[in-house]
Amino acid sequence: MNENVLLLPILIPAVVGVLVLLMRKAQSPVRDGLALLATLASAAVSFTLYGREMSLNLPWAGFGMDFALRLYHFSGFTVAAIGGFGFLVALFAQKFMRGRKHASQFYAYMLFALSMANGAVLADHLVTMLFFWEGLLLVIFGLIAIGGPAAWKTATKAFIIVGVTDLCLMLGIALVWYAAGTLTISKIHLPLTGLTSAAFVLMMIGAIAKGGALPFHTWIPDAAIDAPMPFMAFLPASLEKLLGIYLLTRISLDIFQLNEHSWLCMMMMIVGAATILIAVMMALIQKDYKRLLAYHAISQVGYMILGIGTGLPIGIVGGLFHMINNALYKCCLFLTAGAVEHRAGTTDLNKLGGLGRKMPITFLCFFIAAVSISGVPPFNGFFSKELIYDAAMEHHYGFYLAALLGSFFTAASFLKLGHAAFLGKRSEANENVKEAPASMLAPMLVLAGACVLFGVYNQLPIQKFLQPVLGEARMEGRDFAGWPASATLVWLTVLCLAGALANHLAGFWVTRSGIRAVDHIHYAPGLHGIYDRAENRVFDPYDNFLKLVRLISRGLWALDRAFDWLYDTLAVVVSSTVSRGIRAAHTGNTSMYVVWVLAAAVIILVFLMKAM
Amino acid sequence: MRNEVLLFLAVAIPTIGAFSLPIASAISKKLRNALAVIFILSALVCSLGLVPSAMAGETTTLSYDLPLGFNFTLKADGLAVFMAIVSSLISTIIAIYSTGYIAHYEYQDEYYLMVVLFLGSMMGLVFASNLILLYVFWEITAIASWRLIGFFREKNYVVRADKAFLVTAFGALSMLLGFLCVYGQTGTFDMSAIKASMTGPLGGLAVALILLGILSKSATLPLHTWLPDAGVAPSPVTALLHAAVLVKIGVYVYARLFLVTFSLSPFWQETVLIIAAASALVSAGAALIDTDMKRIIAYSTVSQIAFIFLGLASGNELGIAGALLYILMHGIAKGGLFLCAGVVEHGTHTKDITQMGGLIRVMPVTAVSFLLCAASVMGVPPFGGFFSKLMVVSGAVQADHVWIASVFVFGAILTILYLFRVFNSIFLGETGLASRHATHEGTPVMVASVAVLAAMALVSGLVISPSSNFAKAAVEQMLGIVK
Repeated sequence: MNENVLLLPILIPAVVGVLVLLMRKAQSPVRDGLALLATLASAAVSFTLYGREMSLNLPWAGFGMDFALRLYHFSGFTVAAIGGFGFLVALFAQKFMRGRKHASQFYAYMLFALSMANGAVLADHLVTMLFFWEGLLLVIFGLIAIGGPAAWKTATKAFIIVGVTDLCLMLGIALVWYAAGTLTISKIHLPLTGLTSAAFVLMMIGAIAKGGALPFHTWIPDAAIDAPMPFMAFLPASLEKLLGIYLLTRISLDIFQLNEHSWLCMMMMIVGAATILIAVMMALIQKDYKRLLAYHAISQVGYMILGIGTGLPIGIVGGLFHMINNALYKCCLFLTAGAVEHRAGTTDLNKLGGLGRKMPITFLCFFIAAVSISGVPPFNGFFSKELIYDAAMEHHYGFYLAALLGSFFTAASFLKLGHAAFLGKRSEANENVKEAPASMLAPMLVLAGACVLFGVYNQLPIQKFLQPVLGEARMEGRDFAGWPASATLVWLTVLCLAGALANHLAGFWVTRSGIRAVDHIHYAPGLHGIYDRAENRVFDPYDNFLKLVRLISRGLWALDRAFDWLYDTLAVVVSSTVSRGIRAAHTGNTSMYVVWVLAAAVIILVFLMKAM
Repeated sequence: MRNEVLLFLAVAIPTIGAFSLPIASAISKKLRNALAVIFILSALVCSLGLVPSAMAGETTTLSYDLPLGFNFTLKADGLAVFMAIVSSLISTIIAIYSTGYIAHYEYQDEYYLMVVLFLGSMMGLVFASNLILLYVFWEITAIASWRLIGFFREKNYVVRADKAFLVTAFGALSMLLGFLCVYGQTGTFDMSAIKASMTGPLGGLAVALILLGILSKSATLPLHTWLPDAGVAPSPVTALLHAAVLVKIGVYVYARLFLVTFSLSPFWQETVLIIAAASALVSAGAALIDTDMKRIIAYSTVSQIAFIFLGLASGNELGIAGALLYILMHGIAKGGLFLCAGVVEHGTHTKDITQMGGLIRVMPVTAVSFLLCAASVMGVPPFGGFFSKLMVVSGAVQADHVWIASVFVFGAILTILYLFRVFNSIFLGETGLASRHATHEGTPVMVASVAVLAAMALVSGLVISPSSNFAKAAVEQMLGIVK
């Protein structure tokens, strides 16, 4: 097979995207179908490519900046996953986006995102990767901005947060270039010194920010409200997680020689644990279906970072497995939210309830995805979490406890969500709600099915896709597939889940309401005040960063005005004073002038005599 | 012989042709406008004709000896041709845009005369191979820009024009003194002869004096405040002066003198880097506070010029090539931003961003063009600015200036912030007070020019290899690297 075929997953969506953008006046079914076809073609190419190895190297910007792509096990597998998600979301969007304003922009940007994600993963050159990676910026901006008249604020927020971290990534790449002397990823394997540790941190910031980890996460819950729903299923739930964790794995395994005892590992684990806990605590109290899911999209990436941050093979396999699992169930969950929004017209949990009877298949998909994300055996999330627990335990039980506590709250919040949306009393407005159309159900069913498959038969993903990523040398013949090794940890998990269920039932018994079943945590003394401030964005790192920048700018502005004062005031005062002084010397008095001339003559004379 | 003719014509057509414009105006206004565009376009065509020889690493020379040991020497090497193409390319589009923008104002003859003369003297400056000749063209650009900034005759505006002239003339005179120091050290004003006879680095006093000239022309801290003040000029003038051409004179002469002709001691290299870093931050901070649309974009220019200095002062191949590409990419994108601002100003009759908002509904093409050009200035792929920003930052890192590079990355973060601030407050959100005046987008010529620049910002990134190959050839010639 010709290696130019590697360009297809990048070119097909990009070219069709341009076409779709130009087809603003066209009949929407034609345009939508074309976009769907493009995602299908791109997915088909990606699936065909899986399992092959080839590289493509084209001259590009000179100075060692080549356009290099490399297909190997990891990139091929990730691109195939991206293709699959792209197709499923495009299929879902067919009905969801029909007749909406800006639908052609939606499809075009979605295809661009697909193209760039494929490019970033296939890239074997850091500049090629950065080109596609940062290229996503404007696409994300566009996708959020078309969501509504006020969505541009969130779009700007997303652009700025991601743009700042992308600049960090750029600086990191520049440092790697300096240290390694090359930009070809497959040729770089740097030991960690002072400079390269800085490079690692900078590149890690780029990676985890794409994944949506703390403190770069706050645009995601806002986008959940403002952006068109399939965007959430497509980017924050699946594609960005795949990209972020893909890069995090590449820098941890390939680009740098990361050691499990390094402070960098400790840092990643702390970021991971903090992300899990803080985001899930926020998810717990949300009253909107999509916003609640958005906080989970953040919380889950914490598990992946924690797993990979352990630096242990079991943790890395667990982190990667969790990446796939999360993409599957989180994408599925967002699609159920989309189906509910499509039929009920709202995602406000106060207005929902009792939809399980009306939308049984959607409820089934939700149920499978929810038990998967909560880590209930034998669904996929259970197995990946157990691997991460095991790795965290080897470092310090504190990380394990943080992760376990995260699982408790995850389960609690999904009990609340499912109860509030699908069970309980149905409001009159929702009496006529129907089951979602087939084109929406199909992607949800496929994803839910995959959640079951990857749980019951986890040998498939772990042995076939993930363990080869680490390679024989790192694996040392170990195999993490099958039932978890540590029975103690499994018992603790079961205990934790039972605790979550008991907590929910107790809360329900007191309040008689699904949505208020966690109120005893929300309004607990101590937590209550923190929650109120968090909901009022007191802690939002983005807002605080902008305030800080504003403060710095005021100082710089004052400095600028001071320089301007030199010209506008000081120069004028000095020149007018000097000329006034000279004018005062010209009195018109002849004897005075004679004195001036004589004085000058004396000075010249003295000067000449000195010189002689 | 052919190349020599092209070289001569590139300088002569606009410089001499400029003076025929007032005469042509007596016949027909349309003829005058057409001639103005044609003169600038012919400079572009002639410069493009020099590309093959420049790519091959050859230098085209044209020389006339004058009495008293002076000579009139023009030289076209890769650097000069690159700069000439960038200047004339963007000037052509600005001239076309002007025909729409300036049509309703007085003193149009003066305007076209000065614009074409400005471009002509820019061509002369770029190709000049003699310090005195360089100085002469330098001052002609100063005079032309003085008249162009003071185009609107309000008292306050004329004072701003005087300020721009005085600051740059102060710099130019210092530079002339510096040239005399060079003469004292080498006994000649001819750059090739200087290069041949210089053994060590140039004396500190001469460097400091010449730097004053360069920094004042390229509006770098602490000589930068005339540039935002000059925002009172008509928008195509600000695009021409602040974005594309005038402010690039300083960086060009830096490259010509301190990279090609003399060598600079590490102390001065470091000094330039620190000045540039301070300039990038201070102006970016000011851009976040100011509320006048054109002043914000002008501060942004000051900040971006510092990135060009970063690349040049790093002194390695990557950094210098990045700086050359930066000149091109920034010229296109910033020119586009100023022209967009012109469209907005025409529609709303104000420059105050607090009075605007929601203009994307009335001016969709301008809004999208503004966003695309802004993305290029921010350095977002797939726009051209991505490569140039990456290259200057990497160049600085490879010159072991990691901390300076980090400061510039912070400057790049501020760039994102202030460009979004200005974009959002002009085009998005609620319809502002002044936005209500805006009923249409502007003349088709203006809107088309803006869209063309936005498209160029995009294409220059998607198809990076022609410009980067040319920059590579120019840098190799500059540094004397033999392939």
